[in-house]
Amino acid sequence: MKITVQSKSGETAFSCGDSEAILHAGLRQGISLPYECATGTCGTCRARVVSGAVDVRWKEAPGGTRLKPEKGDILMCQTRARSDCVLKVASEIGIMESRPAPRRGVIRNIRKLTKDVARFDIDLSAPMNFEAGQFVVVESSHVVGGRAYSMVNFDTEVDLIELVVKRKPSGRFSDWLFGAQQGDPEVTVFGPLGRAVFRPREDKNILCIAGGSGIAGIMSILECATHADYFDSHKGSVFFGVRTLQDEFYLGPLARYVAASHGNLEVTIALSDEVATTTFHAHYPELRLASGMAHEVAANAMASGAKDVIAYVAGPPVMVDSTIRALIICGMPSRDIRYDKFG
Amino acid sequence: MTWKRLCGLNDVAENAVGKFDIEGIPILLVNYGAGYRAIPPICPHMEEPLEESGVVVRCILTCTKHLWAWKLDTLEMQGETEKPLKTYEIKQEDGSILVNIEQELVYEFDAEADDDDFFK
Repeated sequence: MKITVQSKSGETAFSCGDSEAILHAGLRQGISLPYECATGTCGTCRARVVSGAVDVRWKEAPGGTRLKPEKGDILMCQTRARSDCVLKVASEIGIMESRPAPRRGVIRNIRKLTKDVARFDIDLSAPMNFEAGQFVVVESSHVVGGRAYSMVNFDTEVDLIELVVKRKPSGRFSDWLFGAQQGDPEVTVFGPLGRAVFRPREDKNILCIAGGSGIAGIMSILECATHADYFDSHKGSVFFGVRTLQDEFYLGPLARYVAASHGNLEVTIALSDEVATTTFHAHYPELRLASGMAHEVAANAMASGAKDVIAYVAGPPVMVDSTIRALIICGMPSRDIRYDKFG
Repeated sequence: MTWKRLCGLNDVAENAVGKFDIEGIPILLVNYGAGYRAIPPICPHMEEPLEESGVVVRCILTCTKHLWAWKLDTLEMQGETEKPLKTYEIKQEDGSILVNIEQELVYEFDAEADDDDFFK
């Protein structure tokens, strides 16, 4: 089927299979359709169907609350084409260099990190290149809709990605993932996606603020930076927010990144629901511990002055929103803030 | 031309926003220190309520939801912002800010006009 998109940039056409989301079809052909979460929570990929038949998969998607269905508004990430379609999109559309693609994958090595966070690997059917900080959308035939997960690892041509999942109350995907698995579950993986990426050639200091499982993409950034000897000549500050010390994970790898940084990387674990204790330092002398919300702890540190910084923010939407707000109030230009907000 | 009193000069603190209702029309007053702007109270990007998501720092209004931003003295769009702010004409008189309301300013996702307005 042919999808024609009318935008500020004129008309763009691409083909779309009958079992793929319109958003995925455009992105994999290099069309820079607007999106943020690609999983129905943010509403950024909204479009208006001018003509053609479509099938909306997840009608109750929280990102769709401001749509006007009577005018044909859809979320492209939740919609499949049933005929040739003409859509309107209210943003500029260009051609992307990087092209995400669908791959088959097998989930392996699910392991609990805390009471409600687990890590798992996906073996990919074909290698993938991605930028540090990017994510993929994982779909299982057992659960409706895709879920977005940031890669933890970083390398080129990877055929195995490490991901982190937080178990949510009545989260159907995490229940399925945490539940009893027969063999190794097969999934489809679409990506890489996301613009909150770290590029060593940008030559800036980095500030990373993560809440809970949002640390995943930050780990990839630190792996990439460490591998590129980035902290030989740049500063890095990481603020990892968790509720209590029971909720921490990845402290070992974080401590190793600090140890390899020649003193240029600082990692602070911010505890929102627990007073920081001193015994922690016996285990992880490389890491700092603070009490408070990660964004407050980071804002206090920012106040002492940081120049030439790009900020990366990842975590639950409320945490991301309050962190962005704190960074703007600290005087950070919006162009230097990158974030992922999956909801 | 209908000039209405919006609020007192000191009702909205410097680098803050305040939302007012003038005969059923919601208006956000932005005080950026060197001046004021009266605008519709929603972000033209995705209808976020700017009285919650808007932050004013150094003459720039940023919607912290998706980082669209505008310089308030010149109304220049910042960074990846794709749509201009709409503004009401205002003036100061006897310690008050008056706003000139011809009709409610709306962005295209609110317009009941036909689809040709979708991009404006």
